[in-house]
Amino acid sequence: MAVPSEEKISAEGFRPLDEYRYYAFYCNRCGNCKIIDAVYLRSSRFSQICPAFGRYLFDAYSAQGKMDIALAMLDGTLGYTPKMLDVIYRCMLCGGCDVMCKRSFDSEPLLVLESLRIKAVTDGKGPMPEHVKLRENLEKTNNIYGESHGDRLRWVPKEIKPAKKADILYFVGCASAYRRREIAQATAQIFKAAGVEFMVSENERCCGYHMFSTGQVDAARRLVEHNLDMIEKSGAEKVITSCASCYKTIKVDYPKILRKSTKDLGFEILHITEFLDQSIKSGAIKLPKSIEMRVTYHDPCLLGRQGEPWEHWEGTRDKWGSYKPQKKWRRGTYGIYTPPRDVLGSIQGIELREMGRVRENAWCCGAGGGVKQAFPDFALWVAKERLEEAKTTGAEAIITACPFCKENLEDAIEAGKEAIRVYDITELVVQALGEEGLKRTSKEKLLKENRGG
Amino acid sequence: MPIPREAYQALESVVGPEWVSEDPAICQGYCRGGWFFMTLDYPKGCMPPACVVLPSSTEEVQAIVRICNRYKIPFLPVGSGWVAFGSYPTKPDMLVIDMKRMKKMMIDEKNMYAIIEPGVTYGELHVEAWKRGLWYVTVGSGSQTRVLSNTHFAGLGPLGYRMGAAGDRRELAYEWVTPTGEIVQVGSASVVKEYFWGAGPGPDLRGMLREHLGAICGGFGIITKMAVKLFPFMPPSEAKFESYGISPTAYIRIPVHRVRWYNIRFPSYEKMVDAIYEICRAEIGAAIYTVPPIFLYQVSTGRVESRTDLREKFDKDREKFKRESFWMLRVLLVGYVSEEQLQYEERVLRDIAMEMGAVSFKEGSPRDHSWIISMDAPSVFNVSGIYNAHAFSFDSIRFTAKVLKDAAKIRDKYVPALYDSADYGWMHFYDYGHTSYGEFIVYFAAEDAPMDKAYGNALMDFVKYSIEAKNYLPRVPVTTPILGPLYQNYHVWLEKIKKAFDPNEVANPPKPLKYSGA
Repeated sequence: MAVPSEEKISAEGFRPLDEYRYYAFYCNRCGNCKIIDAVYLRSSRFSQICPAFGRYLFDAYSAQGKMDIALAMLDGTLGYTPKMLDVIYRCMLCGGCDVMCKRSFDSEPLLVLESLRIKAVTDGKGPMPEHVKLRENLEKTNNIYGESHGDRLRWVPKEIKPAKKADILYFVGCASAYRRREIAQATAQIFKAAGVEFMVSENERCCGYHMFSTGQVDAARRLVEHNLDMIEKSGAEKVITSCASCYKTIKVDYPKILRKSTKDLGFEILHITEFLDQSIKSGAIKLPKSIEMRVTYHDPCLLGRQGEPWEHWEGTRDKWGSYKPQKKWRRGTYGIYTPPRDVLGSIQGIELREMGRVRENAWCCGAGGGVKQAFPDFALWVAKERLEEAKTTGAEAIITACPFCKENLEDAIEAGKEAIRVYDITELVVQALGEEGLKRTSKEKLLKENRGG
Repeated sequence: MPIPREAYQALESVVGPEWVSEDPAICQGYCRGGWFFMTLDYPKGCMPPACVVLPSSTEEVQAIVRICNRYKIPFLPVGSGWVAFGSYPTKPDMLVIDMKRMKKMMIDEKNMYAIIEPGVTYGELHVEAWKRGLWYVTVGSGSQTRVLSNTHFAGLGPLGYRMGAAGDRRELAYEWVTPTGEIVQVGSASVVKEYFWGAGPGPDLRGMLREHLGAICGGFGIITKMAVKLFPFMPPSEAKFESYGISPTAYIRIPVHRVRWYNIRFPSYEKMVDAIYEICRAEIGAAIYTVPPIFLYQVSTGRVESRTDLREKFDKDREKFKRESFWMLRVLLVGYVSEEQLQYEERVLRDIAMEMGAVSFKEGSPRDHSWIISMDAPSVFNVSGIYNAHAFSFDSIRFTAKVLKDAAKIRDKYVPALYDSADYGWMHFYDYGHTSYGEFIVYFAAEDAPMDKAYGNALMDFVKYSIEAKNYLPRVPVTTPILGPLYQNYHVWLEKIKKAFDPNEVANPPKPLKYSGA
């Protein structure tokens, strides 16, 4: 039988590939996974959703092509080739295909793509050598850069004293701790401005995003267990992060691998933009300083369309594709899109100009899924495409909410000697707080002193 | 089965090594055709090609086709690859020519046509046309499909009510690479090198190459450039369509002083058909189509959350639809020249609706508006995972209506193996109703797909019915050998034409007649 007519499903998420045969089989090749929703189309130039397909154009690079590959691997008619790993890993797992498919159809393309990577690792064929290096770094130093674990909290400014005990735990993440310290510092300034105490933990380890996204799930699980233990011991009620990768990993992948739901984690996970939005609306944070700037906002994939909570489901599927009990489908509807925009709207002088591909239709920055490490040229191409789109709005700067997005867009700006600038939203907010929120004389000095290791 | 080494090297020299591959993983991405065929034929219908090449120009396509002739390599051109009939390889040494790199589009605003290459999608053409006060048909398969191949195949969509069916009205001149690798200009392009007209002054070969017995899937070579007629819409300053909401229910907000959708319900099928005649006779409207109730139960409408929810809710409501005779017509009015034009047409539409005893007359919902750019065949798959249109009609309104009603009786014989969608399919219209197009859709599960199960048995019943009723032939390959002798042995003539143009049998053999796997 090409596909099981009835199936009992014990869990979804990080499952072996054969448990996703149904989704691979029922891909009808409509092409939604390649093109954005037409209602968002503004120009023929920026019509695509899938960066891998957009760059390489062979159907194999799209989700549709990978469904065919998955089915053939399960049928034993396709083995590993050098190009196979290229197709599987030259993809940010941005989820654009997943959301575009699900606007019409009940399927799980992203789960299949993740499972292809798990299979590659299980079969000893993957991941890419650069991803192995990430794991080795993690095992030695608890961060993806291989730098001293003792430096993880070096970003903490002298004037900020994290609390020993508080309701909020700030989960910094590797990128903000080691590479984009200005984001961590700005976040700390924001907590101070809001008058809230927050903890940081010297026991924090990498969230595990790069392990999950490259199929190294066993390594990821160890990080999950450690970090959840750390969070529990801290007594935190809320875990706040300023990194979209950490956000999605903790909110979605942690419960997913544990066969739980996000609401069962035992704490609330928030992105800093959600905290900011709440604080501004409640009056806890005021933004008196005006910043005269035309900006556009880049939705990080892992905060936006992949930022919805995970709900554990188990049950049966009949031959018609009906699920009992009913399954809730994550279609990108409840991602975090509005809070960052409302935050930008609260900053006087900021004029927000939207690109065509926004929210659940956003074009990826190019950094995720291990692509920045294994295929830096491709990552740069993706970011350059995003900059081209940003420039069409007339924006002077592109604002984002993830250190990985910021880094890759900055690299593209530098490579192309572009005039457009990129900021993390926390940096803008700190500027808008006024001089007391920022001890540096200029934002440029802040950037210079805190960039890099 | 690999292609000869010399042939591969020749392909590399034409397109560059980056754009040709024989890696099995790359080739696997082209192994299955679109639509329902992947279910019907699987696994025997799933055969990866030996090689894939992506040309960027007509000259590269020509060079590739000549290589195929030299080395006797069968080729299959692919655009979206979603066409139902044979968009998958059928020979182990087949070369897929993926046309997606060819994405040029030139719009002649003054003369109202667009010259497009095979990679341009409907959505891309729409947004550029709107900026110039023009527009084009929106096809059922969705805005992500490719204009050239879809238009040349049939280009069907409700906006054809005024814009006409593709081959008759909208397909102008084009450039054709024949199966032996000659470049032929068709229509005005052949004489004056302009693409404004398909019927002359040069040769008009559109009839020979059109539809599923023509050049579709490369049976008669590859069309590399085509002009499509565009139509006046509204000034760009008025044609502002802002997007709202979020997936899956994101929609376009239309300028309602110039564009409006109406949903009109009638007390009986016959009254609805009468109303259609009157609307067409009045020559108002930009689009009309009938709406089977199950179309309302799509996730994108916001009325259901999933397929499971769709089936639970529809199963509960089915009897109500049967009992209350749910006959709904959806009409699009556009004030092309003014708001007053829209207001006039609305008054005429209301009058007709009242005369025909309409039980409700309402403006469409925001999601309905989005059909102006995003008709969404993929959503229809979400009833059971796959579907097919078992019966078609391309005829007068009343005959089409009768065919669909009779098709429902055939479907009902096979319920519950075929899902009881309690409808008579759907219809839309061309040239102010001078032609009506009807599709009767059946929903089924994979295990009932083989020809000896419910799907196949119902299909043969539809074929027999169509022959007896002298209806449009079902678009299923098995019918050709049956029907050929009944229609002046057209299959014999087609075979002769195919041999003349494709002596080396490389243009997706054995197209156009026989289709493998079915």
